[in-house]
Amino acid sequence: MVPLSLMRTGDKVVVRNIQGTGHLAKTLGQLGIIVGIELTIIQKAKESVIVRIGESRYALGAGAAGMVLVEPQL
Amino acid sequence: MKDIRILLSGNPNVGKTTLFNALCGVHQHTGNYPGVTVDIKEGKRQINNHNIIVSDLPGTYSLSAFSPDEQVARDALLTSNPDSIVQIIDATNIERNLFLTTQLLEIGIPMVIALNMCDLADEQGISIDIECLEKCLKVPVVRIVAREGEGIDKLTDAIISVTEKKTACKHREIEYPHSITTHLSEIGDYLSSSASLLGNLSPKYAAIRLMEGDEHLEKMLHDNGLVIPFIDKCDPAERDGIAEDVLLARYRTAEEIMTCSVKCTMGRVMPADLIDQVLTHRIFGIPIFLSCMWFTFQLTFSASAPFAVAIELIFGYFTEAINSIEMNPFIRSFLADGIIGGIGSVLVFVPSIFIMFLLLSILEDTGYLARAAFVMDRFMHSMGLHGRSFIPFLMGFGCNVPAIMATRTLQSRADRIITIITIPFMSCAARLPVYVLFAGVFFGAVAGNVIFFLYILGIVVAIVTALAFRRFVFKGEPSPFIMELPPYRKPSGTAAGIHMWYKGREYLKRAGIVIFGGVLVVWALASLPAGVEYGSAESLAGSLGQLLQPMFTPLGFNWQLVVALIFGFIAKEVVVGSLGTLYGGEDILESSLAADPTLSPAIALTFMVFVLLYLPCVAALGVIKQEIGSLKWTAIAVGYGIITAYIVSFITLHLASFIMGA
Repeated sequence: MVPLSLMRTGDKVVVRNIQGTGHLAKTLGQLGIIVGIELTIIQKAKESVIVRIGESRYALGAGAAGMVLVEPQL
Repeated sequence: MKDIRILLSGNPNVGKTTLFNALCGVHQHTGNYPGVTVDIKEGKRQINNHNIIVSDLPGTYSLSAFSPDEQVARDALLTSNPDSIVQIIDATNIERNLFLTTQLLEIGIPMVIALNMCDLADEQGISIDIECLEKCLKVPVVRIVAREGEGIDKLTDAIISVTEKKTACKHREIEYPHSITTHLSEIGDYLSSSASLLGNLSPKYAAIRLMEGDEHLEKMLHDNGLVIPFIDKCDPAERDGIAEDVLLARYRTAEEIMTCSVKCTMGRVMPADLIDQVLTHRIFGIPIFLSCMWFTFQLTFSASAPFAVAIELIFGYFTEAINSIEMNPFIRSFLADGIIGGIGSVLVFVPSIFIMFLLLSILEDTGYLARAAFVMDRFMHSMGLHGRSFIPFLMGFGCNVPAIMATRTLQSRADRIITIITIPFMSCAARLPVYVLFAGVFFGAVAGNVIFFLYILGIVVAIVTALAFRRFVFKGEPSPFIMELPPYRKPSGTAAGIHMWYKGREYLKRAGIVIFGGVLVVWALASLPAGVEYGSAESLAGSLGQLLQPMFTPLGFNWQLVVALIFGFIAKEVVVGSLGTLYGGEDILESSLAADPTLSPAIALTFMVFVLLYLPCVAALGVIKQEIGSLKWTAIAVGYGIITAYIVSFITLHLASFIMGA
């Protein structure tokens, strides 16, 4: 498991864990970024990322991206 | 005539406002809920014997209410007891929208789903089985294309028919795991004995909200002395676990509904991915953004300039007309300088504000602004600010008033307050005439560099301010940047026009009254006691200037400059006009300033720095009060500005005297 902030553009990953609780984790949950979901990374700028889930795209700043632990898919 | 109250709910960017406009046309007004600055729009549509009253709620992803706009939406949904809830769903992205559906279903108020953008879904090869969707949800579903006004009549028919059903509505239930349902019924049973506390919520629904972690409801029950079974015994980690189980159950239900009713027949191409990769590129992203903004501002000012000139001409004509009529000079001055001058100074801003709103809402509709916020987030973050603060800052160079209004998109109150306090340091267009006058008279050939220095100084002070407030007042990080990037769409001229009209009208209502009132006050100060020459040393304003002048001796300002600063509170460009009056006419102002022995280049520079920093104008101040909603923070914003201006000006005077003297 690696933080989402360390992945590269074009990677497909599966969310394995969301660190921490509180509002940030809940906000991620409401957007559908939950354990088991597959994400495609469509942009990476330093530690910020843009991910796509199905038809939805989300931008995550470095802080948020660091909290999402993912497993790369081959 | 029967009234039917409906709430329009839905995720952001699904076309809620477009549907609202299609439903209500022009019969609408903006209602503002007290204490909160996020608007709920209300409108009406009359059909046969029914009067449908529509409230357009802010877009939300859920009912958990983390940000002010979400809270407004949640409170309206849970407490206003409407006759029906209409959820708008983006047909091209149903799964994402169904999460909110799973929450709305449980409220137990008759519901209708408006499936919007069905034309785009057809184009993208998404086939939606409406009957199956209705059966799964046990809610009527209507296909609409809000942009074209398609399906609106069917939607209103469906709304009327659900509200006329006599039986209690039976929506699809969410299948929670057994571990949750047993506790749900335990809590529900307990709450049914104190149902009066719950208002419109059913005990069962209240139990679900408690399991989801609704702190608001929990606190209310605790305040009334209730001990909630199960919930109160759990530790925070267990509570988070339960909330997550509820969340997952909702997603499972959403997925199930999705798989049975939506088929995608075409392979998807994702050109948007490519566009995103260019627009948000690590290196190209920032120059693309800056040129986009530069273009927007150029267009704003060049397109509004003819209107502004026309307004000035018309008002100049009015003033002349009044001056040519024989009447009491006091009344004439009241009409010409007070009323006409006052209305003129409000209207002269209107064209640029309307055009800026129009361009920004077009940019927003295309989906680009969300990308721009992402691009700027890293830079803003290092200043202790949120990525979304960048747009308000940029608008601030045009006019601080709409910039302060634009901070509404910020979710955390701390982020909003810091942004609002720093916006006045962005040198707005109204301050430029002051720089042009003083830099021209005292700095000649290097005037341009001096003006550029002032803009940079404003930005530096803003950065220092943001860092200081983040370090000492609102400790901790700016709230993390998480934002949905809406799909790219072709902007619609009418939608942007309606948006511009709303925003512009709001500015006129709020700022207009304040500016106009302020102008009248200054007119009174400049013309009383009766008989004195307008704005002369003998007037109240002149006396006030002379009274306050000693406070500004350390900065080297004479009493005329102090009076001009007082007048500048109305609008910064008034500084030039009032100096004109004080120095015996605007036509000889430049030579008079140059000849005044009490002034020097160092003092002129100090004065410009003070004008840059000292105080937002009355209009901006009115909006600050409105947006922060607290007198204390408004006072802090003002006090901080004045003290900063004084200190920075003092340093400027001494540094400048030292450098120029040497």
